[in-house]
Amino acid sequence: MKRLTFLLLLGACTEQVTAPGVCPDFCPGGAIGIGDTILTDVIERDSAFSGYLQAYQGEVLPVADLPGVVDSRAVFRINAMFTRVTNRPTDTTTVPITVDSARLRLNIVRRDTNTANLWIKLYRLPTEIDSTTTFAQLVPAFTDSIVDSVSLSALLASPQIYDTATLRIWGDTIQTDSAGHVLQVAPDFTLLLYVDLDTAQARFVVADSGKVAYGVRISADSLASIALGSNESPDRGATIVWFYTYPDSTAAPVHTTAGRGALFDSFVFTPPTPALDSTLAVGGVPAARSLVRVAIPGLLRDSADVVRATLILVPVGPVPGAPGDSFTIIARPIVADVGAKSPLSSNSAFFSLKTVHLNDADTVRIEMTNLIRAWALDTTVTTAFVLGQLPEAATYTQLRFYSTRTPAFRPALHVTYVRRFPFGTP
Amino acid sequence: MMRVALFLTALTALALTAPAWAQDSQFGIRGLGTPGRWESVRARATGGAFAPFDPFSPLLEASVADIRRVSAGVTGATSWRSLDFGSETGSVRASRFPAFVIAGPMSRRLVLAGGFSTYLDRSFGIVTRDTIDVRGTPEPVTDQVTSDGAIADLRVALAARVHDRLALGFALHGLTGSTRVTAVRRFDDSTTYRTSTARDEVAYHGLGGSASALFDLKADLRLAAWARSDTRLRADIRGRTVATDDLPFAFGGGVRWRPGTEAVVAAAVAWRYWAGAAPNAHDTFSWSVGTELGSLTSPVRLGVRGGQLAFGPGAKAPTEFGISAGLGKQFSGGRGRLDFGLERLERKGTGLTERVWTFLLGLTVRP
Repeated sequence: MKRLTFLLLLGACTEQVTAPGVCPDFCPGGAIGIGDTILTDVIERDSAFSGYLQAYQGEVLPVADLPGVVDSRAVFRINAMFTRVTNRPTDTTTVPITVDSARLRLNIVRRDTNTANLWIKLYRLPTEIDSTTTFAQLVPAFTDSIVDSVSLSALLASPQIYDTATLRIWGDTIQTDSAGHVLQVAPDFTLLLYVDLDTAQARFVVADSGKVAYGVRISADSLASIALGSNESPDRGATIVWFYTYPDSTAAPVHTTAGRGALFDSFVFTPPTPALDSTLAVGGVPAARSLVRVAIPGLLRDSADVVRATLILVPVGPVPGAPGDSFTIIARPIVADVGAKSPLSSNSAFFSLKTVHLNDADTVRIEMTNLIRAWALDTTVTTAFVLGQLPEAATYTQLRFYSTRTPAFRPALHVTYVRRFPFGTP
Repeated sequence: MMRVALFLTALTALALTAPAWAQDSQFGIRGLGTPGRWESVRARATGGAFAPFDPFSPLLEASVADIRRVSAGVTGATSWRSLDFGSETGSVRASRFPAFVIAGPMSRRLVLAGGFSTYLDRSFGIVTRDTIDVRGTPEPVTDQVTSDGAIADLRVALAARVHDRLALGFALHGLTGSTRVTAVRRFDDSTTYRTSTARDEVAYHGLGGSASALFDLKADLRLAAWARSDTRLRADIRGRTVATDDLPFAFGGGVRWRPGTEAVVAAAVAWRYWAGAAPNAHDTFSWSVGTELGSLTSPVRLGVRGGQLAFGPGAKAPTEFGISAGLGKQFSGGRGRLDFGLERLERKGTGLTERVWTFLLGLTVRP
């Protein structure tokens, strides 16, 4: 009984002082007030810089054929291959290999499902291609060196094959056409396209150590835009498997295979990205970024708590591209303001993302609440951020916004804030 | 003697470390707070009628004049309060240590006393729901405003028995305290709008003085009178004064009659001029009648009180009526005493009726 009494007394000591408020009679003087304003003059000293990433550094290789907009083509060079082998590990002499065919794998990481009659065309390119190769330099090869073409739409429409033998060889369901092209859906729902090449299509030149280079174009009735995986993404780049034989001194020739990946991949496109001007450029190739400096007003530091902050950017015009494609902008704060080479913050809590659709000229609004709140609290941090594309150098598209040099359309900050509560007054 | 000193030190420490708050009220939220009761458990169990005559009630200084050895008393209270706004109801509970008194003789006629009591309680929390228009879109929000703290009355008093029938007392009061205040706005759309939280600490300062007298008209009839004037209450946030409010002049009196050895009856009245303190403040009058029956070692107490509250909406002050009862139990040959009390209050004002149960526990030691 004594214990029960003690527990009752202990329970009675717990506080519960919060009750429904019936205002204004039974609420404290003052109220939680909210303010909303568009700060048109806090964005200052903004500028654009280019050259951060090149096309060969992109995570994907955009391939598009949009008349009047862009013609983009993927190019890649497969790594060198050995040309001789030893019969046995103990042999001191080597014998030449004889390549009889090859299988090329392309990873299609993005496509528009509404695209009709989509064809993927493979071209042989000079093995000398590198990061300086231009669209114009490859026009001849893309004109007369077609190696193969695949109707992706037809492949996707073909029946799925999943018999025991297919599953044993391919490991999963496949779709195929009469030419032997094979399509497989990868676990991440990207498409794997396999193209068998004979010795005329995949020329194994010993003098070149088996290096081969190819280019990819596409065509479609409309919305001809896809993206191929590149070396910069793990296991997404183009690969080739060489099927070859070599003589055996005591038995029949040995049949075997060896795989090689792309040593270099990139994309070329026309028209090229225009030069920077007084606008704020984001994305494109070479990748452009815009540095935007913000003067946080005293209002936000002293007497307001920001609950929502939105950056307002007015595009110079619609971003041309395939109608189904989108463009993701990322705003990242910088650690120190040293201009174009300002180091970016790695604190993802302050990153802001916005995806805009191409061919749209609507004002772009980027929510930056976390960042502005942090800046309002800390007067020591650098109050500037960089606008970039995500991922960078993965598309020919570049977005341009009006800068502070155009007062009528300059960037602005739309801030919603809670006013400081008037504590201490009855 | 060593044990006595240690016990008193521990009692003092217990009282000082505990929050010095009294029973609060929703009526005080919009005003300066809820005025505390300067009453021990013994006095409160008699409706407050014994407060002018009880040396451990920090109302009168003159009442400590008869303390002949170092003594201390502490009061604790736990209250359960139901709120009826008409359209809404609620309930709150809180535990407080509203008063502590320690006193001891300096000479044959002079007694020095000190301690603290609650001057204004400012502990509350309110939650409101609303829908506001933000960026042209209605956004439901929940607001929570809380205040945690009180303004304490630190008292140093000197009492003297100047005549066999007359005792006088004077006191200086330092009003000090702080409240931790928080205002939170939560948006239902928490993805788009962040929660806003504002926190601060408000420090309060003020001064006051009081004087009182006890006069024995007859051997069994004692009269009491007191007056107190407080200056202005200053509220500071981070060193900056944000408000200055007038504090009241107050006075009152009481009468105690002892018809027999085991029966005492008392009555008290008080006036407090709060009206200038805040926009919704009112002058108040309060009264109380109570009795203590039985032996000195284990008396039974009964009381009734009524009056007005200092803050409340409307032109008319909210009213209060309460009944109380209690028991006392001496131990250790009269060196210690435990007092228990139970109080039921009903407060009525424009738009609100409050009903309060309060359990009181007091400890007095006379080493």
